[in-house]
Amino acid sequence: MSSPDWVLKISGLVKRFQPDRPPVLDGIEFELRRGEYVAIMGESGVGKSTLLNLMAGLDRPDEGILSFYGQDLARLSDDAATRLRRHEMGFVFQAFHVLPYLTAADNVGLPLDLAGAPRPERDARVAAMLEAVGLAGHAGRFARELSGGEVQRVAIARALVHRPRLLLADEPTGNLDPRTAGQVLALLRAQVHAQGASGVLITHSRAAAETADRILVLDGRRLVPAGATA
Amino acid sequence: MKRLLHAMLLGAAAAVALAVGAAAQVDYPAVLPGVQVRLPADHGSHPGFRTEWWYVTGWLDADDGSTLGFQVTFFRTRPDIPQGNPSAFAPRQLVIAHVALSDPSHGGLRHDQRIARASHGLAGAEPADTDVWIGDWRLHREGDRYLARLDASGFGLDLVLERTQPPMLNGEGGFSRKGRLPSSASYYYSVPQLRVSGTVRRDGSSLRVRGTAWLDHEWSTALLEREAGGWDWIGINLDDGSALMAFRMRDREGGKLWAAATLRRPGADPVHFAPEDVDFLAGRRWTSPHTGIEYPVAFQVRAGAVTVDLEPLMDDQESDSRLTTGAVYWEGAVQALQSGTPVGKGYLELTGYGAPLALPGSGP
Amino acid sequence: MRSTLAVVRTVALGRLREQPLRLVVTVLAVALGVALATAVYAINSGALSEFGLAARKLVGEADVVVRGARTGFDEDLFVRLLGDASVEEASPALEIELAPLGDHPPLAVLAVDPFRAAAVQRELVAGLGGELMALFRPASIALSAAAATELGVARGDEIQVRSGSGVQRLEVVQVLPAAAYPQRLGLMDIATAQWAFDRVGRINRIDLRLAGGVDVARFRTALEARLPPGVTTSGPAAERDRAANVTRAYRVNLNMLAMVALLTGAFLVFSTQALSVLRRRSSLALLRALGATRRQVEAALLAEGILLGAAGSAVGVLVGQAVAWLALARLGGDLGGGYLHAVAVVPRPEPTALLGFFLLGLVVTAAGAWVPAREAARAAPARALKAGDAEHAARRLRPAWPGLSLAALGAACALLPPVGGLPVFGYASVALLLFAGMLLVPATAAWLLGHVPGTRRAVVSVALAQLKGSAGQSAVSLAAIIVSFSLMVAMAIMVYSFRESFERWLGEVLPADLHMRVAQAADTAFWSAADQADIAALDGVRRVEFARQLSVYLEAGREPVQVIARRVSGESDFDGLPLVRGDLAAAPPGTARAWISEPVHDLYGLDVGHRFTLPLAGKAEMLTVAGIWRDYGRPGGAIVVDRDWYVATTGDGTASQGAIWLQPGARASDVEHAVRAEFPRGDALQVYTGGALKEMSLGYFDRAFAVTYLLEAVAVLIGLVGVSFAFGSQALARRAEFGMLRHVGMLRRQVVGMLAGEGVVLGLVGVLYGLVLGFLLSLVLVYVVNRQSFNWSIDLAVPWLQLGALSVVLVASAGVTAALSGRAATGTNALRAVREDW
Repeated sequence: MSSPDWVLKISGLVKRFQPDRPPVLDGIEFELRRGEYVAIMGESGVGKSTLLNLMAGLDRPDEGILSFYGQDLARLSDDAATRLRRHEMGFVFQAFHVLPYLTAADNVGLPLDLAGAPRPERDARVAAMLEAVGLAGHAGRFARELSGGEVQRVAIARALVHRPRLLLADEPTGNLDPRTAGQVLALLRAQVHAQGASGVLITHSRAAAETADRILVLDGRRLVPAGATA
Repeated sequence: MKRLLHAMLLGAAAAVALAVGAAAQVDYPAVLPGVQVRLPADHGSHPGFRTEWWYVTGWLDADDGSTLGFQVTFFRTRPDIPQGNPSAFAPRQLVIAHVALSDPSHGGLRHDQRIARASHGLAGAEPADTDVWIGDWRLHREGDRYLARLDASGFGLDLVLERTQPPMLNGEGGFSRKGRLPSSASYYYSVPQLRVSGTVRRDGSSLRVRGTAWLDHEWSTALLEREAGGWDWIGINLDDGSALMAFRMRDREGGKLWAAATLRRPGADPVHFAPEDVDFLAGRRWTSPHTGIEYPVAFQVRAGAVTVDLEPLMDDQESDSRLTTGAVYWEGAVQALQSGTPVGKGYLELTGYGAPLALPGSGP
Repeated sequence: MRSTLAVVRTVALGRLREQPLRLVVTVLAVALGVALATAVYAINSGALSEFGLAARKLVGEADVVVRGARTGFDEDLFVRLLGDASVEEASPALEIELAPLGDHPPLAVLAVDPFRAAAVQRELVAGLGGELMALFRPASIALSAAAATELGVARGDEIQVRSGSGVQRLEVVQVLPAAAYPQRLGLMDIATAQWAFDRVGRINRIDLRLAGGVDVARFRTALEARLPPGVTTSGPAAERDRAANVTRAYRVNLNMLAMVALLTGAFLVFSTQALSVLRRRSSLALLRALGATRRQVEAALLAEGILLGAAGSAVGVLVGQAVAWLALARLGGDLGGGYLHAVAVVPRPEPTALLGFFLLGLVVTAAGAWVPAREAARAAPARALKAGDAEHAARRLRPAWPGLSLAALGAACALLPPVGGLPVFGYASVALLLFAGMLLVPATAAWLLGHVPGTRRAVVSVALAQLKGSAGQSAVSLAAIIVSFSLMVAMAIMVYSFRESFERWLGEVLPADLHMRVAQAADTAFWSAADQADIAALDGVRRVEFARQLSVYLEAGREPVQVIARRVSGESDFDGLPLVRGDLAAAPPGTARAWISEPVHDLYGLDVGHRFTLPLAGKAEMLTVAGIWRDYGRPGGAIVVDRDWYVATTGDGTASQGAIWLQPGARASDVEHAVRAEFPRGDALQVYTGGALKEMSLGYFDRAFAVTYLLEAVAVLIGLVGVSFAFGSQALARRAEFGMLRHVGMLRRQVVGMLAGEGVVLGLVGVLYGLVLGFLLSLVLVYVVNRQSFNWSIDLAVPWLQLGALSVVLVASAGVTAALSGRAATGTNALRAVREDW
């Protein structure tokens, strides 16, 4: 891989859900540089999540190019895209999606398990990651025994434990109170940078977006820098 | 011969046997002219013949002042089946008993009946002397007396019938023709003017009764001719001690097919009348509310020079035994009158008014 | 009240919109259970009411029925009884079983004096119509409509029956109207029957009508004391019960099936409702949060269950009645089992019974819905709103003590004796053990899953973790399949054990090369001593043993016992008497020995060494029990006595059956032909090789149980459908989880594989559990229910191969079902599901 400067490069991206209706996304242009942590804002229903799915290779654009480190995501098979996510991406969801029947450590270790990491290395990295998110003492606890903020820390640890190159966070603090949200956002930003990853934070909250290096607004099917329309 | 009536129900039985096998299984003795009835030997039963009956009818005056009519009949029949069965239950002889009480206060006829095979001593007819029974129903002779005891459902009779006159042989010395064919005949004698005393039980209370009765004893193998549709019969005890028996066989159109009568004045020999000397003139008619059948319940009967008018004790003396025997007939107490004056009491039997009768042994 | 209704509407209608298909199937499951129970009941009661009707017509107006053994007693007794002042009417009768030639079952014949019988069996005699006297004709018989139909004859035709080893022709002089008597029956004149079947002077039944005011019980007691040995009395009620007893054993089987079906349905409702309630905990909690009271939520869920139950029960009752009608119309009252011989039993719907089954379905369903409803309503709203709480709720179903107490109670019930000849406590034991088993599923499942070894493979370990984490819910979803499977296992073991024992028994009781009997009905069909000598002299016959079978009343009010007079030599090759106790050794001089079958042991309390009296030919003979043998052929019991002793005692040298051992080199078919050629209509004799007889018997056995297998399969299928719903609903509920897993890099097939794995493990747990539970239940069925119903023992035998194959199929089906539900839940929509909030 030629290791380009661009982690993610999107151009002329069009996505429509129904052929006879106006597209949800129409001519999106976006570039994410290595190490960059970008926030994408927008009102509910403007297509933020659609854009995220496209970035993750979970959905395919109707037009345009979607390049992840030079690989066209739109051309990858489902399995190839899955493997790409397994190794190169991490996700944080609004609803946490931490498995209640696994311990915090096992939840965090899940991506490593899927990637088939050797046990000692896996355990070491899980421990390190839990410590990094401030849950060093909670490794053996089940998700249902944790508070909302703690669960999301587990989610963040899981998203970054396998050292992905891209972290995608979708409203990671939507379910948290403002104080906890602030802590989680700070942690997220710190960890993205600490792991040397790039990150896209999708949020509708100005305060959350402001933790990012750069803020873009998805508005009227296009992505424009914050302030351009405000 | 009224008793034919009942013979018929037995007959229905035996008829089946006949209908099936053209060849009769049993060789019944024939009733032959010239053979005389011998008494007392013939008081007993004649098991070889197909049918036989003892038939007692009479008028009773009860101690409560009411007048009743009664009828007690025992039939014996010999079914037409092979005789080889060693089983004690084998129906070599069947016995049927019928008892009826005409009771104006009751408004109708009380009657009851039994049928049994003569086996194990539980029912039978003795050849030696008159003694027929089914269970505890029994009619038997002790010298000059007949004893009849029948405990039926709802009523009962316990009567002593004393002979006041010798038996009266009907026909030629007891040979009584019933039709134009000489083979259609029976042996037949009557014991009229029996003096009755005893008790009648009805609805649980007992009445002492006295009265006059008439006994018929008749046996035969073939009685009815094919053309016969029914018959009318009377047996009258006249107040002067005379006895009058008369019958008429009707054809299917109601005309006279055959008739005969016996009249015996007290102390005299019986006089027999030929068919042309006997007439039954139907009078008042009564329609049964039970069956819709119309009966002539009043008659003028002529035997030679003697004519009597008959008036029933009550109109409704119909017996409907269709459920058990298949027969519907009228049989009841009647009063005999001459010029409007009562001269005697007796019984009238009317058969075949609903449908023509069928009897075993009828026709060739 | 109005607000409660609103809650009900919200909860129940919401669900109806959400999962219509699942509701339909749940309703159908309830319907199946109720339908089976209804059908079995309707068939039974149809058959029983027909038996009752037939028995009523035969008992008629009799107050007391005096009965002797089939060979009868002197008719003089009838005359004596008629002379008794307490007796108003006595009707002598000879009950015999005729053997019509050709492929016909035995024909029961009542030979009476119609004049006397008219006072007792009024309707029967009235059925003769004008042909009453026709019965007096020699060799004449009147047939019930059912008998005429079965024999294919009409009035005026002739039938041929076996008399001795010869043939007796009987003329059908009348066919009774169907209303006169519902079953197969011949009516003869008593004199004709006595003559034609060599019973002159003997009768075996007297119907008594007592005079008004006579105390029937006292009269009977006084009478019993005066009766000759072997003659007993019974009342009209006992006469009716006697008829019902004939099919009781068969009904045991049907009752089991109905229970299987109803319980499967009930547990399917339970698991469907429980899972559905668990899934809806958060929305229910929301309702609570919005102001619905605990009672209202509980009422709403209960109402939902009752609605389901009402719909299912209504359908079930109707379908059950229809099935019963069809089954009876096609197969007869015993579903082809051959016990009843009726033209057609038309089950009239019994409103109260139908209502009863409707309510039963309703109650069972409501009970299934009530447990989870109560749990859901009690949950604290705040907690229930949180994810992961469903399992916590399911965990509450886990305590072991109620299950263990029920199990103990069930085990205790298995030790109790029968009630009125029925294994009431045996059934109670099965039911209790089953419920105990269900209650212990969560704890056991959790324990079992806890012992599944861990693994490092992510897919497997996640699957295992999921299973361990949700053992409670898994257990609930397994309930229906465990119930149906364990009952099926129990039934399969019982039937297989019975079949194995039966087969072995057949091998033991058929030791000869050829077995023969004159006819199935031995009353009038037999070989005289001369006939026996002729057979023994046939070419190719090395040895022949003859036996006489006759029925004898040992005790008033019981079925007659079959007495078999045969040689008992002590040579095991010839005796064919499978002893379970005692020996065949020769008797000490001066004592007569008897070998009783197990039912005689159970019913009359006789044991080896006991002395008892056997009424034979009007005398009471003292015998000593020398052994107890196993007999599957005569449920009423059988007593083997030595034939020489029997002939010496009774003078009866006839034989109803025989066995031939061939000379070396002789061909069985040649000897068979020689036997047949010896007698008129020899083609109608029953002569079989031991092998053929065994084959026929087993074929009959399998046909009788075919319905059982079919219904079991249906029950298991329904259980599987229930499991697939459980998987389906779990998979749907876990869509977001699958979405997350797909996000973090799990391949779609890995997700599906994970689910399939979960299915397999769950299936395995269910099957293992079902096998163990089923085995325990089968012990109760084999040793308690079977023994107490039939009074014979069977040896436990496990059909490993069938059970193994079935287990594999079930486990595989669980895996496939889970995988299929997983595929549906892991489409693109699943990826979006991560965005959905819970």
